[in-house]
Amino acid sequence: MNFAHLHLLLNHFPIVGTMIGCGLFLVSFFGKNEDMRRASYIVLAAMALLTIPAFLSGFGAQIMIGKQPGVSDALIQRHEGSAMLALWFMEATGAFALVGLWQSHRNLRPARWNIATVLVLSILTMGLMARVGNTGGDIRHPEINPGQARVTEGTVGSIIRVFEPNPTKFSLAMVDSKYWWAFMMDLHFIGLALIVGTVGLLDIRILGFAKQMPIAPVHKFMPWAMAGLGVNVVTGLLAFIGESTNYIDDAAFWLKMLALMLLGLNVAAFYLTGIFDRVESLGPGQDAPISAKLIAVSSLILWVAVITLGRYIQIFLDTIPLSGTQASIR
Amino acid sequence: MAVPEIFNTIEQSGISTWIRESDSLFGFYFILLFHTFGLSLLVGSNALIDLRILGVASDLPLKSLRWLFNVMWAGFAINATTGVLLLTAYPTKALTNLVFYAKLTLIALAVVTMQRMKTRVFGDAGLSEAAMIAKGKMMAMWSLVFWCGAITAGRFLAYTYTYITYGRTG
Repeated sequence: MNFAHLHLLLNHFPIVGTMIGCGLFLVSFFGKNEDMRRASYIVLAAMALLTIPAFLSGFGAQIMIGKQPGVSDALIQRHEGSAMLALWFMEATGAFALVGLWQSHRNLRPARWNIATVLVLSILTMGLMARVGNTGGDIRHPEINPGQARVTEGTVGSIIRVFEPNPTKFSLAMVDSKYWWAFMMDLHFIGLALIVGTVGLLDIRILGFAKQMPIAPVHKFMPWAMAGLGVNVVTGLLAFIGESTNYIDDAAFWLKMLALMLLGLNVAAFYLTGIFDRVESLGPGQDAPISAKLIAVSSLILWVAVITLGRYIQIFLDTIPLSGTQASIR
Repeated sequence: MAVPEIFNTIEQSGISTWIRESDSLFGFYFILLFHTFGLSLLVGSNALIDLRILGVASDLPLKSLRWLFNVMWAGFAINATTGVLLLTAYPTKALTNLVFYAKLTLIALAVVTMQRMKTRVFGDAGLSEAAMIAKGKMMAMWSLVFWCGAITAGRFLAYTYTYITYGRTG
């Protein structure tokens, strides 16, 4: 398997998954069905997570085919720009979906403003993702784009194009000033401390330490974990956009992304299988079931892995072969 | 201002050279990793208490978080140790940069605030929850400001240096 495979495998999730999530959401919106709304929010949040490796793997695929004859750089650039726009809409949709899930946990349904925001964002994301798919397909499918190499836009495409960043300029803007870079890294570390503090506290309590703490109130720190995660997803993606060649062939970086995806599964196992419902009501001194403890252990292990792999990115540069194209990217 | 020769002497020492130049996975980046672990234990725990005092998770009894001060001190011990090792590796880089002194000052302020909170807010068993919060509000706010400042200075330190090692710029 190489990055082209991986990109083709992952890139369907943001497109098809967002359609499914958005569809479920629209049904719940008109049918006033709270269970379906929750299901749609879960799908949208999962797609926001999967969009991250789909986006990142695109840089690898670009390096693999970009130098081949008959592949147009202009078409790749257009695809990349459209992905860079859709990405932020997808992440924002996922973030608001998580806020909505939090609200529906506390008050049975998300706030009105949240429902309105997800309505608008998920529809926009669906449209933008469709364009990302289209522009991506144009790169190497002679059956849909016989004119290869030429960038042609329809009416809608030419409007969206105005809002799409120029990938090269976007990338340079991230590394132009060392102060901006330091500031992003700074936020990334503050986010890290916030996540470790809040998630760590919950894990530790579930494992049976500091049992004087009732669990439900400890769980109320979770929006701060989400805030930290949000900050780190944004700063992490911006850093990747700025220095993509320093991450793309790095084993530590990809293992970090894998650990992040596994954390998504871990969170799903915690909240969606009833384990959370069994621990939430536990008061001081009460012990959590073994299933919850397993989730807490894997959460701690995976977060330690994320930090460790993140710190080791710089020494694992150049550890994934990009099939002979290596020399051409540096 | 001339860079003191002593920095050069430190950099020529075996341990300093090893930390800087070793290809071992347990060299420079291992120390940085533990500096990051220490940071998340220290700042993460302190931020929890600060946020709790400032109104987050208000039904969590404040006294049930008292144990976190031990975690903070453990984090501080890790970071003092790894910090000294990192300084041994790059004395010129750190000590010729004003940001380094700003970082140390902010850490000192944050640790003093943390210790004051421990004695004044958590030290008096007779205080009610409301009294603890009233006493701790300003300290909690400043604690967050100092820690964010310390992390910021730490991160900028990695990018804003004048000398990387003795006599070598950029």
